[in-house]
Amino acid sequence: MTHLSMDQLLTLREPGSEPGAATAREHLNQCPQCQTELDRLHQRVARLKALPSLRPGRDRWPETAARFRADRLRRRTRLAGLTGLAAAASVALVIGVGRLFQPANPATPTSAQISQAMERSQALESALSDYNPDGRVLDGRTARMAQELEDRIAQVDRELEATELSQQQARDNDLLKLWRERVGLLDALVDVHVTRASNAGL
Amino acid sequence: MDSSLLANAESVVARARTGDPEALGALYRAFEVPVYNLARRICRTTEDAEDVLQETFFEVCRSIGRYREEGSLWGWVRTIAASKALMRIRRNKYRETDELHDQVVGKRQEDSHLRMDLEAALERLSETSRAVVWLHDVEGYTHEEIAKMMGKTPSFSKSQLARAHARLRQWLGEEVAA
Repeated sequence: MTHLSMDQLLTLREPGSEPGAATAREHLNQCPQCQTELDRLHQRVARLKALPSLRPGRDRWPETAARFRADRLRRRTRLAGLTGLAAAASVALVIGVGRLFQPANPATPTSAQISQAMERSQALESALSDYNPDGRVLDGRTARMAQELEDRIAQVDRELEATELSQQQARDNDLLKLWRERVGLLDALVDVHVTRASNAGL
Repeated sequence: MDSSLLANAESVVARARTGDPEALGALYRAFEVPVYNLARRICRTTEDAEDVLQETFFEVCRSIGRYREEGSLWGWVRTIAASKALMRIRRNKYRETDELHDQVVGKRQEDSHLRMDLEAALERLSETSRAVVWLHDVEGYTHEEIAKMMGKTPSFSKSQLARAHARLRQWLGEEVAA
């Protein structure tokens, strides 16, 4: 008697019927040996499912989060370059047109001030990338400081995204404030890495 | 999986979409073990599995905005993890020796007449066979889904599974006496 192959036994476990499944099932009903094979197959799969969960030996979240933050920062820098041009152009246009009809409000930030803050922010990010913060090993205290600063920068970025969608007048005031805050945070982050690098003699 | 995340999944995902580090961290904590387990069951080394874990969550962080909540969150994360693990085994140095690995280990086990436990037997399968066994039998993917992820045909997936089970049966000493 020809017994069922492993392929046929596995097919019998699949939902739906394939060509030849009826013949195979007919054989199965009459063959105790193939029934035992199928039972063992069921048991083996059940045992595979019951294997204990394996756990990572170390926490990979800090590295993953740092990599994601660096990636966001890079994307934000690229975006800021484009947004900066667009914002500068639109602010210049609004101010230019506005000046034709009304006197300038000294409390309203100028496009130059916003552009200046953006440029400073980009320069600091460039300086930061020179220090390759992702590739460096930091001591616990420095890593915590850097992480806190990066988290706050990410928060400012989220606020910037929201502000870019708001009304013009409020937007310009908030944009300037946020870009300046971002510059301050980046300045502090560069300081952390510069200090760490000079302490390590790099 | 972390049940507190499952209870607040919607709000955690909404916050994660804005890049909230706390929410992204909560996603990691909730799925860290099942993702690592899947990766470790497929990949040959713990280092590879840890890299897959990191790659998976980097992708989750980047793509959470594209998660449409059509299926379960775990289903979405799991598909990313499975793709990353398969990418890893395609890339790693063992891929060209899968066939040889099976043959050598099979012969060695035959010769020694040792009965292995399931964990050890699974470990001794080639990475491709092990991936198919794990994705099909444990994670519940169909042969069509596995074939799509592997860039192969469903027949390839079926034959890998049959071959793997034949080897497992032999190594576990489960052959039925005629």
